[in-house]
Parts: sequence; structure tokens; C-alpha cells
Amino acid sequence: MDLFFGGTLALFGSFHTSLIFALGLVGGMLFGAIPGVNMLTLGAVLLPFTATMDPTEAVMLFSVIYCAGVFGGAITAILFNIPGAPENAPTCFDGYPMTQKGEAGKAIGAAVMCSAVGGVASAILMMTATGLVASFAIRSFGPPEIFALIFFGLAVSASIGAKTLWKGWLSVFAGLLIATVGTDPVAGVPRFNEGSFFGLQYQSYYLSAGIHFIPMILGFFAVSEVLAQSINISKGTRERPKAALDFPSLAEFWRVRFTMLRSIVIGFFSGVLPGIGATLAAFLGYSQAQRWSKNGKNFGKGELEGVVASETANNSATGAAMIPLLALGLPGGALTAMIMGIFQIHGMEPGPLIFINSSDLVWVTFAAMFWANVAIIGLGWVQTKTVVHILRIPFRWLAPGILMLATVGAFGLRNLMIDVWVMFLAGVVGYFLRATGYSAAGIVLGLILGKLGESAFAKSMQLMDFNLLGFFERPIAAILILLGLAAIVTSIVSEIRGKEIQKALLD
Amino acid sequence: MAIAGLAYSQTRFFDEDIANFSFGATGWPRAICLLIALGATCQLVYKLAGRGEEAEEPSSATGAATQDGGHRLAQRAAIFVLPFVYLYVTPLIGFYVATPVFIVALLLLLEVRSPLVIAGVTGIVYILILLIFTRFFYVALPNGRLDGFYEFNNAIIAIARTGL
Repeated sequence: MDLFFGGTLALFGSFHTSLIFALGLVGGMLFGAIPGVNMLTLGAVLLPFTATMDPTEAVMLFSVIYCAGVFGGAITAILFNIPGAPENAPTCFDGYPMTQKGEAGKAIGAAVMCSAVGGVASAILMMTATGLVASFAIRSFGPPEIFALIFFGLAVSASIGAKTLWKGWLSVFAGLLIATVGTDPVAGVPRFNEGSFFGLQYQSYYLSAGIHFIPMILGFFAVSEVLAQSINISKGTRERPKAALDFPSLAEFWRVRFTMLRSIVIGFFSGVLPGIGATLAAFLGYSQAQRWSKNGKNFGKGELEGVVASETANNSATGAAMIPLLALGLPGGALTAMIMGIFQIHGMEPGPLIFINSSDLVWVTFAAMFWANVAIIGLGWVQTKTVVHILRIPFRWLAPGILMLATVGAFGLRNLMIDVWVMFLAGVVGYFLRATGYSAAGIVLGLILGKLGESAFAKSMQLMDFNLLGFFERPIAAILILLGLAAIVTSIVSEIRGKEIQKALLD
Repeated sequence: MAIAGLAYSQTRFFDEDIANFSFGATGWPRAICLLIALGATCQLVYKLAGRGEEAEEPSSATGAATQDGGHRLAQRAAIFVLPFVYLYVTPLIGFYVATPVFIVALLLLLEVRSPLVIAGVTGIVYILILLIFTRFFYVALPNGRLDGFYEFNNAIIAIARTGL
């Protein structure tokens, strides 16, 4: 506790450090909210300047950007159906329908509170159990366990956003297939970058780099939303959502307390694992909330619990992601890799010794992440009362801005026009997917986890001498695979039986 | 099924053995193709068995289309086609020339008729892009391949970065 107070004092004791904290908070939130430009963009811009900064301030700044950035993406997800980052995608499922029902303030309020609660809980767990959790995660989680976790995650999240179970699975498989474009993870053999069909030859060196998930997300969510609304305008059927400013009541938060607790646990343990992080956490949190909720059937139609589950889980992953970095020197994602870079710029090596050699730095970082999540409540409240007013602007005035932001975001990723083509094609495909009951979110989930899953599978096979049953010889992998299989079987049974009950009722 | 079949057929172009990995480069993509075929079969059986809800509900994308006149259909088609025209011409005439034209065309398609609104929205979006992405983030947006347009785009970039 003394160490935490010491860190807090160092954080707010000087005007300079407090200013960096505040700028990181506002910057992270703004960059998280702009589609295509995310906290990684801000991190990449700021990284060179950290060479001249005090290392404690630099690491603190990036930690604050991380916490605020994960929350920031929820705002556009709720207001415009455009997730600022992949981990905010499940927030769209219920956040945007709430906006359409005139409950945008409530949805943003829930995102604010739950991001803060998830982040604070994660920071507390990080402060108390870094060593323990890091050693467990690293010793117990090898490639087979990571593959098993991805399998489990896909098994329980596959039907999210789809009309039928099969369409959900087909969407995920489509995402997995798209993820294979590029190079194979074992030997780097180029795949799907050349070939021919019906006598037509094709070859593209762009495809050797693979299809990035950011243009796909922008296409499926932002572009397809603009197309859908534009068509509604042309039909004269578009209704402008009301810009309501209500904050959720305490009773509403109390009603979803178990969902929050569940999402904190899911988010924290997903966040610890390198590469898995906040995206799988958000999808798992959402799918489990839907599974256990009394209002499961209302998910996807504007259920507050859906926003709560997704936003609690993704922010719970932030503190957890710092654990392998600080305790073992293993960055789990792009932003934590940048923090690793800051350490190296300043001639420091993260790992167990950092708690002894640079205790001040560690505790200022912990305190900064804790207070950043607390500050999200204040800043988020202000946003709830202000940003919602954007809904008063006619959509036809906003549409060009949304499209241009998405265009520049997709292009800026790798400075390739092909990414913008991919985005617009995904937008058109996404528009028709919506009409036919397939899930754009499922495709995105498959795309994000596909490469990671294939890589983990290949390493597992090499480790286990190509014995598929080897997964069942490792307890954690076996449990996760069995749970995944159970989830698949129960969802198939409930899909068939559910429809039978429905049919009987209709008869 | 068609997507699975097409993708599976394309895997023959990279069917290479990999040392220390007996599944090769094609193992994973082919497995996914088979899973897609399986999923599609289940969906088909499910629908044929009369359990697909969507069989009863007309698609919103096509249902209303038949009720509208040619003008509306052309408008909707243009909404889909316009972004691709923009993508095609951007590398030729440059982002800074193509973008204002695209924004004005989109606003007209969305039935905005007030010249003040069209000018205002186009100006605000254009200036924000110049300030945020060209001036501060140095995003290297396409500056056109055609003579004249290349110089014009570069001039706009130079103006946006004045003083830096």
C-alpha cells in the first residue's frame, strides 16, 4: 500500500508529471475514438520523443494511453456502429441498437462505468499478483494451451451476431480462410497470392502481405453502416436517433453485477496471455453474458448487459497485459512492445529484477493505470453529456466525414490503396451479410484469431510430434478443448430444439 | 460451397512440402475449406428442413427495391458504385483533387441540395483531413500520376505543411 501511495505521490506531486498523465488520458481517448487512427498510431508518433523523457514518465504515459485508448473506441462503436479498435467490436452489437432506440447516453454511461470498473479491478489484480500470475501463465500456457484457448473462444463466440448457428460458424470460417491469405506461419510459403480460375491468371504481390483486419473492420462496420443508412435515406425510411443524455441508474448497474464480475475474470485472464488480449476477452465476455443472462434473447437488440460485458472485459485486459511485460519482459501486444522499446531506449531490461532495481518506475506505472481508469469516469461522464449531441447532426452531413476518416485510416495503415479497396469491398459484402443474417463480427473474429491459431497449432503439432490426441495429455489444453466441444454440441442441440419449440408454438 | 470449392482449388498453387511440418502449407487452408463445405451443408439441410427463419422473411435489401421507380434504383446503385469510382480515379488525379469531388457527389446522392451545406461539409471535412493527416501525421496520401494533377496535389500538401 505504501508503494502505491508513493507511486501516486510521484505521479501527482509534480505539475509536469500530472500534465503528461492528463495529456496521455485525453490523447488516448481521442485516438481510441477515431476509427483507423488508434492508440498505436499515437504511440508510434510519440515513441521517438520518449528518448529525451524521464523513463518513468515515458512508461507512465504509454500505460495511460493504453487504458484510455481501449475505452475511447467504445464511443464511436455506440454512436455510429464503428468500433475504434477490434476489442470494441462486440460493443457495437448492443451499443448501436441502444443509440437507435434513443438510449445512447445510457450505453455510453455504461461503457464509461464498466471500462473504469474493469480497468480498476485489473490494476488492483496487477498490483497484488503480478509475480504469481505471470509465472503461472508462462509456465502453464504453451502453444497447445493457446490453440486450445482460441478454439474455446471461437466455439463459444461463433454465433454472435448471426441469424442461425450455421451462419455464425460459416462467418467465422470465412474469417479463418481470409486469414490464410499471405504467407504460412511455418516456412513463409506465399498463399493465395497467385493462381488461376476459369482460365484467368492472377498474381498480386500485395496479397503476399496478407489481408489486414483493420480495413476489414472499417469496411464491415463503418462503410456498411454508411451504405445501409444511405439506402434508408433513399427509401425515406431512416429515423434519426434521439440524442438522450440519461446515465444508467445504480439499480441498473446492480442488476448486471454478476456480468461485470464474470467479464473482469475473463478479461484479466485473457489479457495475461501474449497475443490473445483484449479482443478475445471482449468477445468471450459478451458471449458468456449472453449465455448466462435471463435476457439472452434480447442481446443484439439493445441490451445494456451486452455493452457492460464487452467493455468490462476489454478494459480488464489492460492491466493484465502489463504483467508478462513487467514480470518477465514479454510484451503481449503492439503497445506493450512499444513500452518494451522505451525500456530498451533507456538501457533498462524489464523482468523480475525491475521490481528491485526500478521499484519507483513500476509503482508509478501501476498508480498511473489505476488513476487513469478512475479518471475515465470523470472524462467519460463529460463525454456522455457532450459527444451524444453529435447525433443531432443529420447523418447525411456526417456520412462523408465517416467515409473519409475510414478511407484515410485504411490507407494510412500501410500506405496501400489495396487496403482501401479491401475496406470498400468489405463494406459492400458487409451490407449484404447484414441482410442475409451472416455475422460481420464473426468474420472479423476469425480473421484476427486465424493467424494466431494456425501458428499455435503448427507449433503444437511440432511439439507433440503430430499427434492430435496430444492436446488431451495436457490438462489445461484438454479442459479448454473439452469445454469448446461441449459448447459446440450444446449450441447445436439448443439451435435444433429451440426451433422445434418455436415451430410447435407456431403450430 | 462455391467459395470453399474455389479456395480449395487454388491451394494447388502453393502445395509445397515443408521440412519438419508434415501438413505442409495447404493443410490448414484445406481444412478450413472442408469446414466451410460442412457448415454450408448443415445450413442447406437446416433450410430445406423448413427451419430457416429467413425463408419466411423477405430480404430488406431486395424487398423494397421493386416498389420504387428507376430513379430510386439508379440512386441506390450509384451509392454502391461511387466509392469504387473514387478509388479508381484517386491514384490518377490524386487524393486532394478526388476527395472534394467525391464528397460533393456523395452529398448530392444523399439528397443534400443546399449549396451552403454542401460547401460547408466539404470544406470542413477537407480542412480537417489536411490538418490532421497531412500536416500532423504526414500520411503520404496519393498525389496523382497524371501531369498537372501531380503538381496540384503537391502544391496543396505544401500549403498544408506551411510553417513546419
